Amino acid sequence: MDSLIQEIKDSLGNNDDFFLQQYTIGEARLLLMGFISLIDLTKSKEALYDNMHNWKLEANTVTSMMDAAGEVIDLDLEKAIMLLMDGKLILFFERECRFVVAEPVPSLLNRAIESPTNENVLQGAISSFIEDIDTNLGMVRKQVVSRHIKVKNLLAGSSHKKKLSVIYDDSKADIKLVTKMIKQLESSSDHEINNLQHVTRALGLSAWSSVPKFNTTELPAEAAAALGKGRVILFVDRMPFALILPNLIWDMFTLENDRNFPLPLMISIRVLRVIGVLTTLIAPGLYVALVAVNPEVLRIELALTIAQSREGVPYPAIVEMIFMLIILELIIEASTRLPKSIGPTITMVGGIILGQAVVTAKLVSNLLIIILAATTISNSTVVGFQNSLAIRLFKYVIVIMSAMYGVLGLLAGLVLICAYFSSLNTFGISYLNINMKKGEARNG
Amino acid sequence: MRALKLLIAAMLVMVLSGCWDNIDINHRVLPVVMGVSKHDGNYLIYLQIPEQVQNSTQIKIVKGTGSTINHAVDLISANLEDRVDLLHIKVIVLDKKYAEEGLEDTISDFMRGRDVSPKTLVTICDEDMDAFFSSVRKKMGPKGTTLYDFFEKNAGWNPQIALTRVWEVYRSIHSYTRDVAIPIIRSGDTTVVQHVGSAVIKEGRMVSQISSEETLLFNAFQRESTQGKIEVMNHASVLVIGNSLAVHTRMDGGNPVLRSKLKLKVVIMETKDHPTSDMIMKELNESLTHQFNQMFAKLQESEADILGIGQYFRRQIPRSELKEWRTTFYPKLKLELQVQTIIENTGFLELK
Repeated sequence: MDSLIQEIKDSLGNNDDFFLQQYTIGEARLLLMGFISLIDLTKSKEALYDNMHNWKLEANTVTSMMDAAGEVIDLDLEKAIMLLMDGKLILFFERECRFVVAEPVPSLLNRAIESPTNENVLQGAISSFIEDIDTNLGMVRKQVVSRHIKVKNLLAGSSHKKKLSVIYDDSKADIKLVTKMIKQLESSSDHEINNLQHVTRALGLSAWSSVPKFNTTELPAEAAAALGKGRVILFVDRMPFALILPNLIWDMFTLENDRNFPLPLMISIRVLRVIGVLTTLIAPGLYVALVAVNPEVLRIELALTIAQSREGVPYPAIVEMIFMLIILELIIEASTRLPKSIGPTITMVGGIILGQAVVTAKLVSNLLIIILAATTISNSTVVGFQNSLAIRLFKYVIVIMSAMYGVLGLLAGLVLICAYFSSLNTFGISYLNINMKKGEARNG
Repeated sequence: MRALKLLIAAMLVMVLSGCWDNIDINHRVLPVVMGVSKHDGNYLIYLQIPEQVQNSTQIKIVKGTGSTINHAVDLISANLEDRVDLLHIKVIVLDKKYAEEGLEDTISDFMRGRDVSPKTLVTICDEDMDAFFSSVRKKMGPKGTTLYDFFEKNAGWNPQIALTRVWEVYRSIHSYTRDVAIPIIRSGDTTVVQHVGSAVIKEGRMVSQISSEETLLFNAFQRESTQGKIEVMNHASVLVIGNSLAVHTRMDGGNPVLRSKLKLKVVIMETKDHPTSDMIMKELNESLTHQFNQMFAKLQESEADILGIGQYFRRQIPRSELKEWRTTFYPKLKLELQVQTIIENTGFLELK
């Protein structure tokens, strides 16, 4: 057994945060092993000592001590390193030559449960998921108290191990879908998982899909609602959100939190979101189509006003539109990159100064600025940032089609996008599937 | 391979679209009114173009001649800094003399060319076009769409004005059984335009003229809503708030007979000398029937079926004989009109 200690020392000894120290409790002489960065050693020792103390009265033997400290197991090098890396404390009883794996007091490496940072909640539970997978699981368990909730833990990655958890409601979810997913994840357990693209690949889904394959949420309430609808939740360690599979089009418009409002209000809010998405998609394209290709659609009064507002603008409508859209995207991108304290500066420079100057300089027309403002604002009504990104991308398809074929092109662009949506599916469930109750998956 | 195919398709979309021919709205001239007249076999085209100049609209009248309408427009377009786009034309003003000669060519050109929308309204101008347009230009307000608003149902339209569109004139040219009435306007003394009456068009040629009051009846017969019209009689004036028409047709040994019942719902607005409501009703019925019969006699004489009565007989007259509708059947048509008035509301007037 001493050889194993030596081996562990050889492979981990060059880490400065690895410790191996001797310790004596009563008659027992121990070697403690672990990472000082993962374990609160002082408290762990204290706990160990208290534990021993409790047991002394009844049976003052080392064996009972070992049982009390943790799990007595036979170790090999591979397993020992895994356990150490996982933040476990390994005790080696020198005289008995036995290894005990103890659950130490961990050093605090997680933030506390806070309100969500990427989503806003009005009138609803505001605790959000954190990086620790076990905490997240616990939060879901707390949210849905049901014996039907099943959790399946998986380990992915060959050199970097990453914990994954699949959660589903076995009375609601399609078991075939769940087994298919778990099997897929198990079969690709040698994939490294560090980001969502890796997750997509590990699930065997196309990485080229512009619409995200999972709906991400930071809110336990949303995750719980998804479980109730028969969806499957995937947690990845160190990712502070739940991945809800499959992602369906209706998720773009609905939040579980909407149901905290009276029904008519809920319906109007959702209708508003649908209008928002349509505005984002159509408004820029419509401007280009009406100004450049089909001005006869406009009423004469409006046509004259638009013509006047474009008087002196040197570029065709499409160039004008693409130019301003790109500047706007740059502003959005810049404001996400910047620290929060400088963010407002960008908003001011971009929004007010640039917007006004660009009109005064006659680079673009007034109306275009209105259209752009409407587009950007309505783009933010979509639920989920990942969805709003997809919509932001699709509007360019419509703009380009409209520039070529006018109103007809606008319609063709919409048809194209609908066709693309209908071509998407996740584990055989179409993206356009509206209601995913049990058993409906096979019709999708 | 698939990506390559997609790329090729995307590039073809670019190449084949022809989008470089698109002209932005600020490089197009958008005339609202087009005047057509004919002198010595040449077309004389007037375009009324509103132009936005520093927050106000100015009106430009452009004139051009050519052997065809397209030729004339082309010449105008060549001389203007922007391209002329006829799609926004809302009103076409035709010279009365030209209308009397026959509009078939012009209307067919409009329908075929598709430059001018078939929904465009057609009117006839009762004076010299030059004088008309220069007066319009002087008097027109800052909106620049006055002539169009004059015929707009939610703006200046009145039930005495016939509304006829290019496609309806085209239909009249080619239909056996239906003609149209085109409003006649001239420049007014104090207003921009003045409504004179309606021209009766038979197969694309103006053959007769009816007055404003007769046009009102014509509109009622067409089931065009005549709401808002104040009917002046000896004793009272009423507001027509609704009208409906029931028609019964039969063939009486080769002679068509049409019985129709025009129901008017009216509200009394003004009275003179304390008439009773029965008196008002009776007077209204009589005067309307009389007026209608007078108009109908005139129409029958000109053999122009602007009321579209022939439509009701399409089932009863065989197709082979139908083309003689205007010449054989229509002059023999017996029309029995019964006007029924319902007084819905006497207002605050106390009537017996």
